[in-house]
Amino acid sequence: MTDTLIQNLLNGALTGCIYALIALGLSLIFGVMNVVNFAHGDLVMVSMYLTFWIGLGTGIDAAITPLLTFPLLFLIGLLVYYAIIDRTLRQRYVTQIAVTVGLMTFLRALAQLIWKAQPRALPYSLIQGSIQIGSYTILASRLVSAAVSVLVIFGISLFLSRTWAGRAIRAASDDLDAASLHGVDFRQTYALAFGLGSALTAIAGGLLMTFQQVDPTMGVRFGLLSWCVLAMAGLGSIPGLLISGVIVGAAEAMGMSLWDPRARSLVIYLLFILVLWLRPRGLFGRK
Amino acid sequence: MLKEMLRVENLSSGYYRVPVLENASFSVHEGEIVTIIGPNGAGKTTLLKTISGLIRPSSGHIFFDGQEISGAPPHSISRIGIAHVPEGGRLFPNMSVMENLLMGAYGNREVLKTGVLDEVFELFPRLKERRHQLARTLSGGERQMLAIARGLTSRPRLLMLDEPSLGLAPVLVDTIYERLQMLRERGLTILLVEQNVPHALRLADRGYVLENGRIVLEGSCTDLSGNSHIKRHYLGL
Ligand SMILES: Nc1ncnc2c1ncn2[C@@H]1O[C@H](COP(=O)(O)OP(=O)(O)OP(=O)(O)O)[C@@H](O)[C@H]1O
Ligand SMILES: [Mg+2]
Repeated sequence: MTDTLIQNLLNGALTGCIYALIALGLSLIFGVMNVVNFAHGDLVMVSMYLTFWIGLGTGIDAAITPLLTFPLLFLIGLLVYYAIIDRTLRQRYVTQIAVTVGLMTFLRALAQLIWKAQPRALPYSLIQGSIQIGSYTILASRLVSAAVSVLVIFGISLFLSRTWAGRAIRAASDDLDAASLHGVDFRQTYALAFGLGSALTAIAGGLLMTFQQVDPTMGVRFGLLSWCVLAMAGLGSIPGLLISGVIVGAAEAMGMSLWDPRARSLVIYLLFILVLWLRPRGLFGRK
Repeated sequence: MLKEMLRVENLSSGYYRVPVLENASFSVHEGEIVTIIGPNGAGKTTLLKTISGLIRPSSGHIFFDGQEISGAPPHSISRIGIAHVPEGGRLFPNMSVMENLLMGAYGNREVLKTGVLDEVFELFPRLKERRHQLARTLSGGERQMLAIARGLTSRPRLLMLDEPSLGLAPVLVDTIYERLQMLRERGLTILLVEQNVPHALRLADRGYVLENGRIVLEGSCTDLSGNSHIKRHYLGL
């Protein structure tokens, strides 16, 4: 019993690194333009299907696919920004919520139409084998996925602190008017943040497909858990995001092994409520 | 008389349906320091925000170097050489002092190669010591200095300051005004909005008095200092 629990906790913590990556995308979008993007989790689902599709059609491995899907999702993000989000920035909040909920529903329906309701998985992965630690087995694909997630998160953090475009994103999220007064074109910066935030789901989707299957309804779960990670981390702390991702991943695994595998979303939801209740600004947040 | 740099003609502006500024006209010449004084809520901030493009004017014209700029977005106005140091500083609190200074030059990055950061640090040595600190950890005086310094890193041709003395202890106000005096000696053109009238009139060449959104008085600072309305309402004499 405890062995299974620890095994699941390990797996959960590793998957949690991917959750942190998904939440980083969300935090770029929410932190900069204050848009509550309900479709974020469904972009992960779409990325997973694209990975599946490309893998099946061309034989390109899921771990490699992000090289293709990252630019694609970046473009999709730009398109969504300019076609939808940009037009609702000066609208009431409910309008913004309505359009992103609409997008979420649209993506889910599209996935159901194209790929039908049954779960899909890729038959193999480049990353084979597993590591044995005592009586616990860790799949190499999970380990590599977690490592890649951490590296990408680190890369994004360097981008945000070392490049002009990255600093513009942070400045706009700190004080949009002041950033504009120094030459930041808010529309360009918003589009970049939205594109990048969406593109991160491509990496997450590819990594998840190395050890997991996809179905059209899983977007909700990714949406919920990335909001939970973000709420726990608060805005502005990238290490906090990583720690929160690991906590959420582990909590999900614990709920599944102690309670019921079907309770995973329920556990995340309860955790989300608990965080909002006890620490509305997150454990590591600044504002 | 030197060349006219900024000319504002019959400018009206406000928020949504609330008009604030009505038919304001004034000008700033190259190398000049011009101050706009007026009581709380007169529309001084609204005026600067309209010039820098944060608010669109409802009517009237703004010319910079003879070119119409009214209605242009703030990022392009900053790129043509107008720096607006907003009321209260409006720093990037979660960025370091150095990053704030770099962001000041965001629209004109090439000028960073001209040693502008060294000049700014020479003017405000305190900021050099604190360059790795987050802006939100600075004291009130340091924040205001950083706000001014950030406005300078793009090497603007016109520096617009909105109440640089706001909320500062008298000794710090003196320090800020010493630095502004140094900037004047370097020939920088400044449009200064102030409620601290004695300081503003001492520094500036000319001034305009804004009350209820209208310019009610203008003249050289020597004349304004001697004006009975100014003496009674602004200098408390
Ligand atoms: N965002 C806003 N929306 C609506 N009205 C505003 C807004 N900002 C300012 N006002 C109103 O516009 C008028 C002028 O304000 P403004 O800030 O330009 O005055 P000010 O001269 O800068 O005053 P202060 O010396 O207090 O800074 C005031 O009546 C104020 O209430
Ligand atoms: Mg003001």
